[in-house]
Amino acid sequence: MTSPETHHTGTFDTATQGSGLGAFTGTSVKRVEDHRLLVGDGRYVADVVPPGCLHAAFVRSPFPHARLTGIDTSEATRLPGVVSVITGSDIEELTNPFLPFLALPGLYTPLYHSLSSERVRFVGDPVALVVASSRAVAEDAAELVDVTYEVLDGIGTIDRALDPESEPIWPRAKNNLLYDRTTDHGDVEGVFADADHVFTETFRCPRQSNQPMETRGILVEVDSVTGAVSVRAATQAPHMLRWQIAAYARKESGPQSIRSFLTNPERRGAFLAAAKAFVGDKGEALQSSDSTAMQHQLKTEPRTALQMVRTGAQLLGRDDYPHVDADDIGGGFGAKGSVAREEIAVAAAALAIGRSIQWIEDRMENLMDGGQAREEELTLSIACDADGTVRGLDVDLVLDQGAYPGNPVGAPITVRIMEVMQPGAYRFEAFRQRSRIVATNKGKYVAYRGPWANETWARERMINVVARRLGLSQTEIRRKNMYGDEDWPAAMLTGPALDVTCSVRKTLERAEELADLDRLDALRADAVSRGKRLGIGFASYHEAAPGPPDYFEHVNPGTSALLDQPATASVSVDGTIQIWTSQMPHGQSHETTYAQLAADQLGVAIEDIELVYGDTSRAPFDLLGTGGSRGGPVGGGAVRKVGRHLRSVVVAKAADMLEASVDDVTIERGNIHVAGVPARGLTYAEVAARVVADGETVDGRDGTYAFSVDDTYTSAGDGGWSVATHVCWVEVDVETGIVEIPRYLVVEDCGPIINPAIVDGQVRGGVAQGIGAVLYERAAYDEQANPQASTYMDYLIPTATEIPRIEVDHMETLSPGENDHRGVGEGGMIGAPAAITNAIEDAIGVTVNDQHLPPYRILELMGIIRPD
Amino acid sequence: MSDSTTHVAIGGDITIGCTVNGEAVAVQVPVRTSLSDMLRAALGLTGTHLGCEHGVCGACTIIVDGAAVRSCLMLAAQAEGSDIRTIEGLAVDGRWHPVQTAMHDHHGFQCAFCAPGFMMTAVAMLEDDPNRSEQEIREELGGNLCRCTGYESIVDGVLAAVATLRGAS
Ligand code: FES
Ligand code: FES
Repeated sequence: MTSPETHHTGTFDTATQGSGLGAFTGTSVKRVEDHRLLVGDGRYVADVVPPGCLHAAFVRSPFPHARLTGIDTSEATRLPGVVSVITGSDIEELTNPFLPFLALPGLYTPLYHSLSSERVRFVGDPVALVVASSRAVAEDAAELVDVTYEVLDGIGTIDRALDPESEPIWPRAKNNLLYDRTTDHGDVEGVFADADHVFTETFRCPRQSNQPMETRGILVEVDSVTGAVSVRAATQAPHMLRWQIAAYARKESGPQSIRSFLTNPERRGAFLAAAKAFVGDKGEALQSSDSTAMQHQLKTEPRTALQMVRTGAQLLGRDDYPHVDADDIGGGFGAKGSVAREEIAVAAAALAIGRSIQWIEDRMENLMDGGQAREEELTLSIACDADGTVRGLDVDLVLDQGAYPGNPVGAPITVRIMEVMQPGAYRFEAFRQRSRIVATNKGKYVAYRGPWANETWARERMINVVARRLGLSQTEIRRKNMYGDEDWPAAMLTGPALDVTCSVRKTLERAEELADLDRLDALRADAVSRGKRLGIGFASYHEAAPGPPDYFEHVNPGTSALLDQPATASVSVDGTIQIWTSQMPHGQSHETTYAQLAADQLGVAIEDIELVYGDTSRAPFDLLGTGGSRGGPVGGGAVRKVGRHLRSVVVAKAADMLEASVDDVTIERGNIHVAGVPARGLTYAEVAARVVADGETVDGRDGTYAFSVDDTYTSAGDGGWSVATHVCWVEVDVETGIVEIPRYLVVEDCGPIINPAIVDGQVRGGVAQGIGAVLYERAAYDEQANPQASTYMDYLIPTATEIPRIEVDHMETLSPGENDHRGVGEGGMIGAPAAITNAIEDAIGVTVNDQHLPPYRILELMGIIRPD
Repeated sequence: MSDSTTHVAIGGDITIGCTVNGEAVAVQVPVRTSLSDMLRAALGLTGTHLGCEHGVCGACTIIVDGAAVRSCLMLAAQAEGSDIRTIEGLAVDGRWHPVQTAMHDHHGFQCAFCAPGFMMTAVAMLEDDPNRSEQEIREELGGNLCRCTGYESIVDGVLAAVATLRGAS
């Protein structure tokens, strides 16, 4: 049951010697990163331990919810090798609390510190930090810290959190409901009253965890002479980490901050430069963000205002922000886009002690506190007519954010994206959504690859429910209701514009062609003869990667300017070429794809491009780093733009030297020459040497360059949707409940592909995580929020024997915009849970309301065993 | 190679004599040191990665006396007298092992944190018997976790290495 993979472009045999403009983009250039990573020469955060470096270990709460009544560190402190034990109350003295990053109307965001002092809120909540000569000694000492707790009721489920009488995890919020808001579009009441049918189902997705193979970690180095702080970290966003360390890891008194700001012109200058880097030309756009949203926060947590002023003054009063460098990173999937409480605590300890400290998280800590996601319950009602026309959608969403808010990206922004994307590519007339966020005593909710993916899961499940009830096929109901080329220009009910790049229906039609649907009955009969049931599931979605220019304004007005992406391109005085990006690669192969884009612009070989990233003293500023499937379209868009720009200034200088018109100058294999006269060409080194001789060098990002140009990719003007249809075939063993996947097909359209092998890898990796979510993985807690999966014996990540081959078929719709590549990092994970659960429902003939379907659950659904 | 460990012994020190990537070494470590920590902290061989430290993820896989071993589960003391190979020793005089070449050709890895463990597992498997079907390869690699790739590119890499090694023999 296999069908050949089809690639519209690409081959594995591409040489890396450039033949000129356009040679690399669209081909499977082999990875530049491999030259160090395949020989054990990578530099991950745990690999760098400077001489004399101390090591940290955390003391963590064993209870889901408790009052901390005493902490005795004396025995731990006496252990030879222990340098310091820092408790939650020490941290309150030393540091500033975390502040809300995003204000939504009615949202409560607690203020909290990097260590807890009065109350613990989940198993794993850090209450003290031990600093010692080795990790082993630090861990031994952590066990000697004596903490006394008065245990409170742990809240382990959404139902318990919604009970207004439940023990409030954040007492100022009065109960555990932190956000409750309803938005609507169109005449919801009218459409639901008028439609022939209304169908309703509730869908539940349990907690998952990102689980990159490398855990979190940080090294904070303090120069013993100058006190300068430099940080190495496994982070998806080095600039974000830098600002947060500057803001939180050391508390300075308000008056002192203000005095240092006012009395020190250098500091004022440094701040203004930093503010300019941050705000840039986006001041006006940022001002339009919703200031009323802050009012509720200030009412519930009045300290927010004072802390914002205090932290703001502190940022103003300093010019010694730490230097952050991130090197090789062992995956993140969103989890390392968060700044961890642990990172701030370690930085605070290093600053307080004046010594370098490394912290490397262990896997148990990572499973408890390294980032969890996706726990949501969604009740969907669809109003439709008898012919299968879907008309109205009414959604009730509850999201379990766990104890502490994600920082900075967590539940609130995810909820907003879910609200915007929930109707999908279907022509609904009306849409309403109630969204609630609750707190429970669990690990924190973070962005996990396609954080909003449950809008796709629940909608695509519900579309199948409607189809089954009306006797339509999965594909019929989708084709009938989806937007298509006849509809453009169009807009989603929730606002964002739809254009030709929203080619979801085309991917569905292509998937139908490739799926051999006429063989389905034979396959089903064959499965039955082997004691199995075969099912097929379709799921389609569009995702904003990067989305149309107006997209983020509909998610969170006033903030789309934050998504702009700067890049620099330079030629050194010796003629070598650098591309500087604010992206922070952690597995996506940026060094290869950006070299492809830049080499094509500059007419050089892949090896001629050096990518500079990850080091905040060198890389361009951008708070978000890598995430949101933005590396290809936005980061890549900036590279193309700046590469083109660099080419134009190099060609202008060369034209001068060649006494030719710029229009006649071309670059092939690094030879800059008048077209047709390659023998009289110049190298980049020769052009650079002339720039030096003529005294025309420029200031680049970290010194003097022959050429250096900057550009910014802005979301206004370019963009588009990335789309796919997934088709999954399952065979369910009716004796054991085991689900196998004999075939899996993805038809995706992310526009013109930069590197097909890399795109395939992203798609397959995402699908594998989706398979894991449905069949194996669950960040399980009991009713009182005691974790049930804190090792890899319990949190089951699928292996090579569980993940099938995944066919990937590419369509490449061109967008009207200038930068045409669209994102593909998250899509695999967005489509897979829906396609798999739809296939399982088709196989067993029973409505599937859960996303997590291990064998026992399948047997329960089939009535073979009884739920306990 | 010198003992550059930053760890301070709190128990009695021991000295482990063994061969690492063809070189005889004597390494002084605290008695409770795991083999992985000895390689990484004492010998600076940081290509061996630690993903779980409890024997499940396979990132720490190295070859000890010809067999693939999880170095996080072995004490350094148990390695006395043994012949150890790590990712750093796989290429010979800068020439990649066929498994490395095949992984490069097939875009085997993404973040590559898992890569050393997978490649050492594959090398031990192919040295044991290079005639492996895809199913056998998948089962042999079933003790190594990769969170990025969905495994297909890694399996394709090993299959290509099988073809190369068959051609060579
Ligand atoms: S680190 Fe040894 S098996 Fe995971
Ligand atoms: S490539 Fe990232 S874990 Fe395997």
